[in-house]
Amino acid sequence: MTESSFILKHPLRVRVFHYLLAASFLTLAVTGIMLYFKLLAEPAMNTAMQVHVVAGVVLTMDALAFFFLAFDRVVLFTKRTFTFSGNDIKWFAVLGGYPQKILLHKKVDVPPMGKYNAGQKLFGICVLVGGTLLILSGWVLWALPHAVPHGAASMIGSIHLYASWVLILFLFVHLFLGIYMWDDFKAMFVDGRIPYEDAAEKAPLWVKNDLRRLG
Amino acid sequence: MSKNDPSHEFIENPFSLSRREFIAIGGVIIALLALPAIWIRSALINRNHHIQARTKGLYQDDATAKIRLSHENQAVMKLYKDFAGKPLSPVSEELLHTKYVNRMKALS
Repeated sequence: MTESSFILKHPLRVRVFHYLLAASFLTLAVTGIMLYFKLLAEPAMNTAMQVHVVAGVVLTMDALAFFFLAFDRVVLFTKRTFTFSGNDIKWFAVLGGYPQKILLHKKVDVPPMGKYNAGQKLFGICVLVGGTLLILSGWVLWALPHAVPHGAASMIGSIHLYASWVLILFLFVHLFLGIYMWDDFKAMFVDGRIPYEDAAEKAPLWVKNDLRRLG
Repeated sequence: MSKNDPSHEFIENPFSLSRREFIAIGGVIIALLALPAIWIRSALINRNHHIQARTKGLYQDDATAKIRLSHENQAVMKLYKDFAGKPLSPVSEELLHTKYVNRMKALS
């Protein structure tokens, strides 16, 4: 294996989906927090609500486009996030070795992972389930609040609130680790490529089982 | 970025997901997404059920009532005959009618 070998980890359609997802979700999170804590005066709150709705529409369009245009990636992502083994429990036992590496500058043995480690799988499940709930509940709350029974509207509001809190809290971890793993960050936001050595270290089972050499 | 792009030598094996897995997982995803859609449709259809039930009950009461018109009500007829005289009479106006009162100040 040469030193200059690269793997195409994130194809263009995945990166475009992620650009729009990141932009719309960050906007939704910021405006959602403003609306929940009533941080602004009334005219600014109205503007925040309008921005929230527009970002919600962008997120929905992005999710629908990816669902229909890249259904194979949706299925593959679902399979990977919902596939567990004993290694995932062992990974959680050491939290992927990140606290030791970041806080103590120590390297501990981490069980071999596939494309997604156990923490990413948990995040992936939250994104799939929580994201779907957020989109559906958001549309009902915005477009059909008077069309659903009162009790149902209240329950849907609670679902929207709890799902958004889970995803916002996870987002902080995702952002921190995304930037900490700089090669992966560049791959997602720039050209989709990750160095072979980096992938072989962090995702050895993916490199061993799921890759194909070109040409 | 095409498959023959020299900037990378490896891609994910497109056949790492078998056809059977694709159909099974894809089917489960579509079925799970259909459930909330069915629930929302059902909630929309049933949103006026309590109003419809109330309306139906009122019509049912009306259809089975012996006296269906207020001016044919024996008690009302007796009231006018013995006491109030006729509809809109001074006594009726005094007892049965009301006037506009601005209560905004009292409420504020």
